Amino acid sequence: MIKEERYSGTNIPLKIYGLSEKSLTVTFGTSIDNDLLDLITGFNQLLLENPFSGLITTVPAYTTLTVFYDPLTVKLSDLPGENCFEKVSEHLNKIAAIIIEKSNVIAHHLVIPVCYGGNFGQDLLTVAKTNNLTETEVIDIHTAGQYTVFMIGFVPGFAYMGGMDNRLSTPRKEVPAAKIPAGSVGIAGNQTGIYPMETPGGWQIIGQTPLKMFDVNRKQPSLLKGGDRVSFKAVDQEEFNAMLKQEYENHYH
Amino acid sequence: MKITIIKPGLLSTVQDMGRYRYLSQAVPVSGAIDELAHRLANKAVGNDDHCATIEFTYADASFKAETSILISYSGDGAFLVYQGELMPAEKPLFFSAGSVIKLINNPIGVRTYLAVAGGWNVPDVMESKSTYLTAGFGGYKGRALQKADVLVGGPNLNEISNKILKQLVERSLIYPNWCISRNSLLSVEKREIRVVLANEICWFDATSILSFLTNAYTVNLRSNRMGYQLTGKPLVRKVKKELLSTGVTPGTIQVTGSGDLVMLMADCQTTGGYPRIAQVAAVDLPLCAQLKPGDTIEFAEISRDEAEELYLEREHDLLLITKAINLKYTQI
Repeated sequence: MIKEERYSGTNIPLKIYGLSEKSLTVTFGTSIDNDLLDLITGFNQLLLENPFSGLITTVPAYTTLTVFYDPLTVKLSDLPGENCFEKVSEHLNKIAAIIIEKSNVIAHHLVIPVCYGGNFGQDLLTVAKTNNLTETEVIDIHTAGQYTVFMIGFVPGFAYMGGMDNRLSTPRKEVPAAKIPAGSVGIAGNQTGIYPMETPGGWQIIGQTPLKMFDVNRKQPSLLKGGDRVSFKAVDQEEFNAMLKQEYENHYH
Repeated sequence: MKITIIKPGLLSTVQDMGRYRYLSQAVPVSGAIDELAHRLANKAVGNDDHCATIEFTYADASFKAETSILISYSGDGAFLVYQGELMPAEKPLFFSAGSVIKLINNPIGVRTYLAVAGGWNVPDVMESKSTYLTAGFGGYKGRALQKADVLVGGPNLNEISNKILKQLVERSLIYPNWCISRNSLLSVEKREIRVVLANEICWFDATSILSFLTNAYTVNLRSNRMGYQLTGKPLVRKVKKELLSTGVTPGTIQVTGSGDLVMLMADCQTTGGYPRIAQVAAVDLPLCAQLKPGDTIEFAEISRDEAEELYLEREHDLLLITKAINLKYTQI
């Protein structure tokens, strides 16, 4: 068995590589799991609470955290180092030295209502057939699970979520659909995700949420962020319509 | 200051320096692909670099001044023409109400930026005026400009813009005798793009790395604001493992499963799962911004430190330009 390379909180310095003149990436590990994700979330929170002069933003992903900065400001800062890469790395290593253990990371938990099947989830049957289940069993398994948002990517607000029961694992469509409606809940391999806006896409669609997953008028436009915990709740079409109306009213009032 | 679009051209959008603070929510940077041309157009009318400009793609566009306007342009997709006369780039240009200005083809490049004194006034969406077409937000109603759209500049002009305007009006000039020399910053027809080798470089065999740095690559038709597909000798991977999606940024060169290159541009996704062979030096990204399908480029390796030094030098030069303009007009 290959020994897993990962950041333990003690084996300083961090593994860092340059991405561009304005960004670098910290690698925390090599494979996806909740502990690593909590470590990245915790590190990210600590960094955002203790920014260096010139920090612009961060992008957490499965095993990495990319840090964007303004080189002009960093260059003038009193952080030790010959260049911006060294200066920012120095600050990140200081953060690493005080990294709070993962138990201190408070992950947000959200419940997402989903209307499964029918016109809302045209691939529910495909997922059921692929796994020798009935449609009801697929819904039961999907709503029983707790999911972790690994990363927001692809399009604004699209959450890649892990933790799905392997019994639902289904490959992507061979030919991506040209239009997937906003709010569609899909499965690809052993991940589940929600399309925040109408786009083309290859995930198997099992249902739709009435929630606005991305709204430019909210302070945090994306409903979900990396590290969040999510569960799904089945709703019928009537409840779906009522919630959709509510979301619409929230948006315009 | 107000204009009406008579002919929008192939793709015209309002852009600024991009939307950086929402990357973690997978909101792309967007913004002017040729950030240098965008900034020079702004500087020429006395604006801050962050003011919104219109990014025109190729020519075949025109607009009418509804009021008197102070504008400027920069980039390689088009020349501005007024009453049959070519207007110089990177200079403030004054036109009275009713003037019709056309964009005619500049064979060198693709994108041209039109600045107005005070900046084009569209609402801020997530702290930026940049248009992101895929999700339909930002810029002018979240979409590309259309015939009859009315764009308004300002409303407030800073002291320098006001002085530039006053001088041109008093002397009945369209433009002054000074200009910014874009060529001193960038040789626009250069086709050698400097790159820094990327994190997954050792995933490729030595022959492929050499081939990447010595062969020519051609921009193919499937190229847009999200990225360019480059045709050339496919690269061979020696490490077959999968890359878990991680942060990418405009200028990142990814290698697809078939060994082809994709150069990410302003509207690129915030994360990517293809191994990366190189990152375009920020100072050469404006050259890439002007590449058309069929154009051929070669890559030359520089170190990460060199790339950073070049970037800081460029920023220093740009600061000097602003200082020179400010000095010129504070003396008036």
